[in-house]
Amino acid sequence: MSKYLLEIKNVSKFFAGLTAIDSLNLKVKKGQIYGIIGPNGAGKTTLFNCITGIYTPEKGEILWNGKDIKGVAPHKIAELGILRTFQTIRLFSEMSVAENIMSGRHIKSKQKWYNGIIHTPAYYKDEKYNWEKTGEYMELFGLSDYATTPTGDLSYGIQRKIEMARALAAEPKLLILDEPAAGLNENETQELAEIIRKIQAMETTVMMIEHNMDMVMNLCEYMTVINFGAWIYDGVAADVQNNPAVIEAYIGAEDED
Amino acid sequence: MMSRTNIIALIFLIIMGLYPLFADSAWLAIGTTFLVFSVVAFSQDIILGRAGAFHMGHAAFFGMGAYTTAILNVNFGWTILATWAPAVLIPVIVSFIVISPIIHLRGDYLLVATIGINIIFLQILENDLFGLTGGPNGIFGIDVLKVFGYEFFEQTHMYYMSFILLGITLFIMKNLDSSKFGRAMFYVNKDDVAAQSMGINIRYYKMYAFAIGAGIAGAAGSMFAVQYSAVSPEAFDVLQSIMFFTIVLVGGSASLPGVIIGTFVMFVLPEIFREFETARYLIFGLAMIIMMILRPRGIWPVKFGNIPSFLKKGKK
Ligand SMILES: Nc1ncnc2c1ncn2[C@@H]1O[C@H](COP(=O)(O)OP(=O)(O)OP(=O)(O)O)[C@@H](O)[C@H]1O
Ligand SMILES: [Mg+2]
Repeated sequence: MSKYLLEIKNVSKFFAGLTAIDSLNLKVKKGQIYGIIGPNGAGKTTLFNCITGIYTPEKGEILWNGKDIKGVAPHKIAELGILRTFQTIRLFSEMSVAENIMSGRHIKSKQKWYNGIIHTPAYYKDEKYNWEKTGEYMELFGLSDYATTPTGDLSYGIQRKIEMARALAAEPKLLILDEPAAGLNENETQELAEIIRKIQAMETTVMMIEHNMDMVMNLCEYMTVINFGAWIYDGVAADVQNNPAVIEAYIGAEDED
Repeated sequence: MMSRTNIIALIFLIIMGLYPLFADSAWLAIGTTFLVFSVVAFSQDIILGRAGAFHMGHAAFFGMGAYTTAILNVNFGWTILATWAPAVLIPVIVSFIVISPIIHLRGDYLLVATIGINIIFLQILENDLFGLTGGPNGIFGIDVLKVFGYEFFEQTHMYYMSFILLGITLFIMKNLDSSKFGRAMFYVNKDDVAAQSMGINIRYYKMYAFAIGAGIAGAAGSMFAVQYSAVSPEAFDVLQSIMFFTIVLVGGSASLPGVIIGTFVMFVLPEIFREFETARYLIFGLAMIIMMILRPRGIWPVKFGNIPSFLKKGKK
């Protein structure tokens, strides 16, 4: 068993002449809340897409418990226990909150292929159990009142919560959050930070991209800073904040704006 | 407590179950056709309305079931009863063979590919490729169902056989919708990227939808062959596929009442307004266009939120 849950080794991803990720290295330990920060267009989301199998990096290795998972299909990545949320919310918007969160139970459900045609006692047990679990996650995120409401009818802040609840319902080993606080007001951000702490307490490792520096510095024990796809620095919050290269990257980015 | 869909399904079954008491034999024949076509429309709805696959070759699976029964009965002397299993299994097997290489195609590309499948199927029928299909004239003289020496030859028998098939179809769809398989189809349909990130194998669930849809269409085809005691290619051409596709979209994807209304509008209304002949297709064409503008989600759109009652709480 590897010392690290996830290792990114020399990973590069190119898009038609653009180097979105440039020989990146990072290591995530079990139980950490790990931050990925960097200016807009730095390649953060692309990195998450490489980990979750949406993209296959051209170079390098992605090691999950020491085993290379580069190029593995997204649904198999999820089965391994790596679940994610999206920078631009991707819910099944016509479907109810409960049905959305139930999708997180998909990989946990043990229904057999013929249960889509005919139900068996084992099916009833499994179905009931997974709806109960869905209920628990709705409770945890304070969503129970909206169980039958289509997610598309709900506010942005609530939709963010649903997306997290959906990923968490799959009981992930690693939860990947792409800008979870984007678009949230101060109260909601506060609430989110508490939820992420709770998730950590459930022994789920968290990796997050976030532009809200207060939140990142407060939550993440370790972080990697990237710019133009490449590593600039990694370390604990205090060191990152004072590092000249990091400050330079952010100021440089602001100058361009 | 029963869900709204279940109540509507029950009312529909009761009405259709009592219908023969009030219908003469001509109307009973129309009723039988309506039942058979609603079964096909429901099976199209599994593929199009649930899995979201733009499948416009469904008449081919319907036809495979019809021709399987016709060929085995007329050419090989099988009883109708014995042809039922192959009439279901052959479309399922063919769906695996012809759909799996194209299942990854999206939207319009899949649509064109499935039309291609339908065209090839029709060519096989018309050119009597294996010397079994009877060419453009098709196959005549299909038997009626005989079980233990009893012959089910009356129109009422045909009606109730189709009625039972409809019941079985609704039962399967109810089971599908309340299983991980039916839900996975909806997830894939609504957002495939999110679905695969939740661990859903898109290919698998789309194929699953095609296999079930093809099997049910095949069963309906077998009924159809016995009802008319003949099969011929034009009943299974691309225009028929377009009709099934349209029924689902006009009625309402994945909506049980929607598909019933759609089938009624597309197949039964034209029968009722026979006198108007050419004018009726003009009116239906116009109605289809207007419907898509005014109600793009169908006459009776699907409503989600069928969750166990213990999860439903106070306010909305
Ligand atoms: N599918 C794609 N095809 C081509 N270029 C892409 C693609 N996805 C991302 N890029 C490019 O790769 C670079 C990194 O994008 P990415 O979305 O990973 O940035 P980011 O760090 O997440 O930025 P932000 O903070 O704005 O979300 C950008 O220049 C972007 O335009
Ligand atoms: Mg991003």
